Amino acid sequence: MREWVAVYKRGLALDNPLTVLMIGLCAVLAVSTKVEGAFFMGLAVIFVLGMSSVIVSSIRHLVPEKVRIPVFIVIIASFVTIVDLTMKAFLPDVYDFLGVWIPLIVVNCMILGRAEAFSYHKPVRLAIADGLGMGTGFTIVIVGLAFIRELFGSGEIVFLGARLLSLPAGYPAPGILVLFPGAFIVFGFIVALTGWYNRRTAGRTVETSAHCTIEEGGR
Amino acid sequence: MRRAESTPLNMVTAVLVTCAVAATSLTLTYEVTRDRILAQERAAEERALRTVLPAGDEFELVPDVLEDAREAAGDTTVDAVYRVRGADGALIGWGVRSAPRGYAGPIQLVVGLDRGGKVSGVSIIAMRETPGLGTKIATEEGWIDQFAGWDGSDITAAAREFDAIAGATKSSVAVREGVVAAGRVYADVLAAETGEVDES
Repeated sequence: MREWVAVYKRGLALDNPLTVLMIGLCAVLAVSTKVEGAFFMGLAVIFVLGMSSVIVSSIRHLVPEKVRIPVFIVIIASFVTIVDLTMKAFLPDVYDFLGVWIPLIVVNCMILGRAEAFSYHKPVRLAIADGLGMGTGFTIVIVGLAFIRELFGSGEIVFLGARLLSLPAGYPAPGILVLFPGAFIVFGFIVALTGWYNRRTAGRTVETSAHCTIEEGGR
Repeated sequence: MRRAESTPLNMVTAVLVTCAVAATSLTLTYEVTRDRILAQERAAEERALRTVLPAGDEFELVPDVLEDAREAAGDTTVDAVYRVRGADGALIGWGVRSAPRGYAGPIQLVVGLDRGGKVSGVSIIAMRETPGLGTKIATEEGWIDQFAGWDGSDITAAAREFDAIAGATKSSVAVREGVVAAGRVYADVLAAETGEVDES
């Protein structure tokens, strides 16, 4: 159980797919103009990543190495299509906003990357932890980014038609925040924040973080 | 447990089985969601028709002119023709749904034509253009309004003056093709129909 939690937590901070591994960013920068869209994008990614991790991990002994990539892609594409059809049927407004970014989850390197780097080599139990952790880490960052951009860029936050939060009417919304440069600027701060947090906690988590991607000492 | 070796048989089996399972599960999802998606699409289409002909109250599909309409439109696909009536039941115009080829697949749009064949508006239902570039055809303020007033009876002349969006030329031209197709459909098919409706 401790191992499970440790793997799950890695996706949230130390191995966060967006702020540390920096993969799958294009969709994030594009759809983080609205909290609503970002939230459902996050849910879609959690679902696809979780399900594909489970499947890839459970059939990992049956899939020969030479055909693993086509098999992964078929699995991922199936789950993405399921999300795509479901969203089209039940959340047409959100689907209109996310548009092409939902089908593009198929080629999001984050998902294929986790299948290749983690699920294909680990037991199902841990693959679930990794998929959910990475998905949650993705969702937290994208929703946080969208929250800042929507609140300060357009002055209010609207979620499924309901106004959750709004700034005083006279607030001069800097339009740059909802444009692409705003995405990069805000995202830069989030990266810095995660880096600061990870360095601060690095001493305590060093035992569980021996296996991949970042070397804290090198920075 | 050891991993299956990369022998031809193992590889073929793995890929085939994966694809078969994937196809089955997608078929099931499609079956479950199909009706709802169709309903959503119909609602979107009606919203589009209301945008281009705000006075319209009743939108009636006219399937029997579709074949002639397709012939008139030439290379551009025409998916549906609507007869639009106002609240008092009088004919106020026509809606032509066409799908010109954009940069990334067809752009589904509805062109509204008034009784006299003047374009009353264009509304895009669905597209897969590049986000931020091609999608400007829907988001650029006022751009799509330039088609309003084009004369359907002489659409080629009207289409000579045309403002494309920089960076989205192909998408812009596609929308124009959709409007031109609708104009041709009006000139060849609907103009006569308008007369018939009046007589009856």
